[in-house]
Amino acid sequence: MSKQAVSLSDRKSYSATLSQVSKDYMSVIGIILLAIIFSIGSYVKNGQQYFMTVSNWKNILLQSSTVAVVALGQSIILLTGNFDLSLGRVVALTSSVGAILMKNVGMAPGLAILIMFAIGILMGSFNGFMTAYVGIPAFIATLGTQYISYGVAKLLTQATPIPNMPESIGWLGRGYALESTIGKIIPICVIIMLAVYIIAQFVTSKTKIGRNIYAVGGSSEAAFFSGINVKRYYFGTFVLAGILATFGGLILMSRLNSVAVTNGQNYEFDAVIGSIVGGISLAGGKGRVIGTMFGCIFLITLFNGFSQLGVDPFVQDVLKGVALVIAITLDVLRNKKRD
Amino acid sequence: MEKDYILKVKGITKEFPGVRALDDVSFNIERGTIHALIGENGAGKSTLIKILGGIYHPNSGKIELNGEEREFHSPFEARKGGISLVHQEIKLSDPLTVAENMFLGNLMLKGKQVVDWKGMRRRAQEIVDDLGMDIDVNATVESLTVAKQQVVAIMQAINNNSKILVMDEPSAVLTDRELESMFRIVRQLREQGITIIYISHRLDEVFQLCDNVSVLRDGRHINTLPVADVTKTELINMMVGREMGLEYPKEVGNIGETILEVKNLNRGKYLKDISFKVRSGEVFGISGLVGAGRTELARAILGIDRIDSGEIYVRGKKVHYHTFAQAIDDGLGLIPEDRKLQGLVQMMSVKKNTTLVNLDRVIRRGVIKNTLEDEFSNEYTKKLNVVAPSMETEVQYLSGGNQQKVVIAKWLFQEAEILFLDEPTRGIDVGAKTEIYRLINQMVKEGRTVIMISSEMPEILGMCDRIMVMHEGRKMGELDVADATQEKIMALCV
Repeated sequence: MSKQAVSLSDRKSYSATLSQVSKDYMSVIGIILLAIIFSIGSYVKNGQQYFMTVSNWKNILLQSSTVAVVALGQSIILLTGNFDLSLGRVVALTSSVGAILMKNVGMAPGLAILIMFAIGILMGSFNGFMTAYVGIPAFIATLGTQYISYGVAKLLTQATPIPNMPESIGWLGRGYALESTIGKIIPICVIIMLAVYIIAQFVTSKTKIGRNIYAVGGSSEAAFFSGINVKRYYFGTFVLAGILATFGGLILMSRLNSVAVTNGQNYEFDAVIGSIVGGISLAGGKGRVIGTMFGCIFLITLFNGFSQLGVDPFVQDVLKGVALVIAITLDVLRNKKRD
Repeated sequence: MEKDYILKVKGITKEFPGVRALDDVSFNIERGTIHALIGENGAGKSTLIKILGGIYHPNSGKIELNGEEREFHSPFEARKGGISLVHQEIKLSDPLTVAENMFLGNLMLKGKQVVDWKGMRRRAQEIVDDLGMDIDVNATVESLTVAKQQVVAIMQAINNNSKILVMDEPSAVLTDRELESMFRIVRQLREQGITIIYISHRLDEVFQLCDNVSVLRDGRHINTLPVADVTKTELINMMVGREMGLEYPKEVGNIGETILEVKNLNRGKYLKDISFKVRSGEVFGISGLVGAGRTELARAILGIDRIDSGEIYVRGKKVHYHTFAQAIDDGLGLIPEDRKLQGLVQMMSVKKNTTLVNLDRVIRRGVIKNTLEDEFSNEYTKKLNVVAPSMETEVQYLSGGNQQKVVIAKWLFQEAEILFLDEPTRGIDVGAKTEIYRLINQMVKEGRTVIMISSEMPEILGMCDRIMVMHEGRKMGELDVADATQEKIMALCV
């Protein structure tokens, strides 16, 4: 018997390590595979390399940074076992308000940004309040917020794009670190992305708040019976996601140097794909947030490659849907206990 | 003379990755008897009945039914072959009626396609009447008590003309009175010539109900013999494979002053004017039937539910906890009734579950110290003798007894002084039960206070210093264990 138990534990830990590694780095391996496929594809199609170039990768990372910042909020919500459908439209709402305040009202950008964050917090609080304290399923509550945000953004902007943001916020999305010495190599927004993910990874894995987030997502009941204020965690994670959505939106408006109601469109789903590819479980309580960053880069690489190969943008939407279903299928298979 | 065996299990072996769940198991079951199947958790009982029920397939070995070799590839085939399972978690369709459930997958038809509802209801009523039950065949299953749902599952089996009924821990969810009527039904089925395979953790039931008993241990068949030829101690020794000593190794704790006092506590219809005192180092039992308000009492004291009126004193100081967290900070704890769902985060490791209630002990300057966490969780799980492949193993892979030990480890790590245990040994095998009793001894020796809610009367009598009996939200009386008997408690229970 004891012999059996030992061999059992050996095997289990071996396979557990293996599945853990593959889960953590699945997205990184995915990115490498995509890079190889698209490099070859680009060469075959154009007779020249357009994909594997510094400027293209810079582009991929630039695009990834905004969606990744928003996706971080989604990931943390997923960890608690909830879901937020409103994030993409919260991006649209907060950046519309910001653009109008800066451009039409002439408010100082700093103050306008504060108001943007206040609105992001408000929307997150609403989601959190309805989900945690009123008891409405997150799916429904955040679907409501999605429509409200989008509707208000359209009303405010009359669905007309607002171009030319103030120069003072340009550095966020278009600035480069050490530009005077090494040139336009390291975008500031990529550094921001890395920074928020490193902080988030630390907080979720090394602090009480992080541990409790996993406990709440693993079993809200067991968390409750361990003295954790489960509702407060639900509420707090929605608020945090609102803040991150606003932040992602701010970087996006700076990078695009314009605001339209389509800013952030579908970000909530891109965020889910990124999270799941990165190893976060839709069922809650599992996965490392840093994985989400790689998941988002994977997703952007995929579509960048398709564009390079000249795949019809409409087809790309279809492929995105396929990617979402595949990602979730993988998650379900991963969580399935072997009988 | 050769006995009449309905079922022969011949050399069944079943392997899962890394573990041999059944190892060359052979025994026979006599027709028309109630045959107990016992063993500790992980002994292979569940695997065996899943093989009988067509859910698993053995790696080798055979099943002989009525002298004929059979192999079932699905529960449906097994049922057609005459074997029905009544599972721990009953699998019925809740929104359907009793009659509809009894005919699930076996609809009565008029002609080829038209369902004969009338006929089905009539037949269902006949079976209900036969069993002398008071169940409305047109009621939905979700409107019934768990006990009656179980009866519906049994009736489903009868209706399928099952010759062998496998009951997996039917008593785990029943009150004593419900158990009586379930026993009556099972005996009646035996009279009708149905063979029953009865799995239970409660050995007393085996002696009350069963004719023969088979013991499994570590996947091997140890013995099969008539219940009349064996004593309880012998059975326990066969199950655990060693001499067991006392079933209730009660030792009196380090009893001090009153540490918890409750005065005239009221909460709606659940708790009515309850007052009692508990001293430090005591094991204070709360007895009563399911629904007597015992769990509600614990929740009200611990700040989980609001109270309407009444006073609570802890260490002589009046307290009013608004949240469970406040009670925890004040040194109180609760080992909840539902270990799986409420006691542990199943997908978290042994280590992380152990430290969850009191993470602050492993946090330095806001950061969780891995080395500290490893040290502490090792210390506590070792102290409690938790058997796990490693500290990183998710608790869902541990047996029920080991899971319960992790729950206790968690509250010891919290250094709780007053610990409520709600049905601490439910569904736990004998060996682990005794270990948990020893832990209770150890806790009260250290001066901690244990308040034990339990439906198992022998456990209450065996382990407590004083016993409070509740019924319908009221305190019916308080007994010193020296004067208490099962009869006295029962008299107060109803």
